[in-house]
Amino acid sequence: MPLSIEGKDYEESMVIRMKSISLYVDNGTYLTRMHPFTKLFYILTAVLTAVISGNLWVYAIFVGISSLALVSAGLFKKAVPLVVFSFTVLIVIFLIQGLFYYRNETPLLELGAVVFYREGVLYAVRIGLNILNMLFSFAIFVLSTKPQDLVEALERKGFSPRFGYVITSVFQIIPQMMGTMSTITDAQRSRGMETEGGLLVRARAFIPLISPVVMNSLTNTRERAIALEVRGFDSKERKTYLSEWKKQKSDTLLNIVFLIIIVGAIIWKIADVWIL
Amino acid sequence: MKKVFATKLNAATIVLIPVCIGINYLGKLIASLLKLPLWLDSIGTCIGAVLGGPVIGGLCGAANNLIYGFTTGDSITLVYALTSLGIGVAVGIMARCDFMKSFVKAILSACVAGLTAVVISTPLNIIFWGGTTGNVWGDAVFAATQAAKLPVALGSFLDEVVVDVPDKLLTLIIVFLIIKALPKKLTSLYEAGTEVEKLD
Repeated sequence: MPLSIEGKDYEESMVIRMKSISLYVDNGTYLTRMHPFTKLFYILTAVLTAVISGNLWVYAIFVGISSLALVSAGLFKKAVPLVVFSFTVLIVIFLIQGLFYYRNETPLLELGAVVFYREGVLYAVRIGLNILNMLFSFAIFVLSTKPQDLVEALERKGFSPRFGYVITSVFQIIPQMMGTMSTITDAQRSRGMETEGGLLVRARAFIPLISPVVMNSLTNTRERAIALEVRGFDSKERKTYLSEWKKQKSDTLLNIVFLIIIVGAIIWKIADVWIL
Repeated sequence: MKKVFATKLNAATIVLIPVCIGINYLGKLIASLLKLPLWLDSIGTCIGAVLGGPVIGGLCGAANNLIYGFTTGDSITLVYALTSLGIGVAVGIMARCDFMKSFVKAILSACVAGLTAVVISTPLNIIFWGGTTGNVWGDAVFAATQAAKLPVALGSFLDEVVVDVPDKLLTLIIVFLIIKALPKKLTSLYEAGTEVEKLD
């Protein structure tokens, strides 16, 4: 991204001061330079083509392509935790569907009294691959796109700048609230609030922790609203942009490829159903 | 009916949305820090709905899941944007019909919100997860119904009811307590249909 007036030093100091919730990694690879819409279109292609074809191999191929893209941009390590957190859910799905899926007939694996069935396990594989496909294709977008770039790209396409503000300000407000919360947690602990113990003790700790933060941030909205109004937030004039975005040839090319893949999958599916 | 959906879209309400999204995030974070078996990730959406009405509530809910889905990599939450939207709209309508004025009425609103969430989430759970929700208690119920050869839809529905209704009950009790304590100076900013007296 071409640098705006806010130089790099300013941006870096902001990053250090506020631990952002965004997972964007600014490593300058081709993925970070790609237009956000191209990456969004990839997600659409990966998810749609797999669902339309309904073939387990197509799911697997897209998971492979996404992983390769992540590896080539040096982002694979960062993507692993995103995927791993879904593993517990996937294991639960395997257990429940493998044991109790309503179409279960053919036993696959017997462990004493516990029987895993073929149909249930296949169904679980399908769900699992669908989720992995979604997680991997989203990981590309999430790890290589700066939220502000996405908002700007959206606004250039006619997205309301007011809602653009909503998105960008979420990233400023959450670190602020986290700061307030850690102060309040310390304060409440020093007054003897217990945050560990039985369920009732922990549940009782919830309200004294969250309500001061909530009250604090809600009262702050009043001042923020006034500050915004003073700076012409409600003005109907057209807004201009700080940075230029150079259109890349690779973006157009990729978009065409993605479109061909989706259309191809649809035609293949129609032909498949028609011939059968 | 017009009064129920009336919305002010000025700087004050626009600022409210990101704050509510932040509150959702904090609720979820504290719940996981305290290892509570509930989500508590819609406190902000409900506050937005009570203050700004159903339109702002729905916007808070949908924007919440969309923003997290596209930036924190939790793409599964994207799917539940519909559920959040439903919760926001439901709570907003209840609040505009004066169902957040007393504790008993707030409990009623919570049941409405919980059931809305259940009705929207159940089909999504079946499509994407084969019926499970990812919550320990709910999935135990689901496993039990499947072992008893009950239909998937019923099992998934019960799975959601066990998780969502208590979750929304607690959420709206918290919201009720918070809203009651907010100064009038702040809440009046969001009230649609009120006339502002000008001195010039």
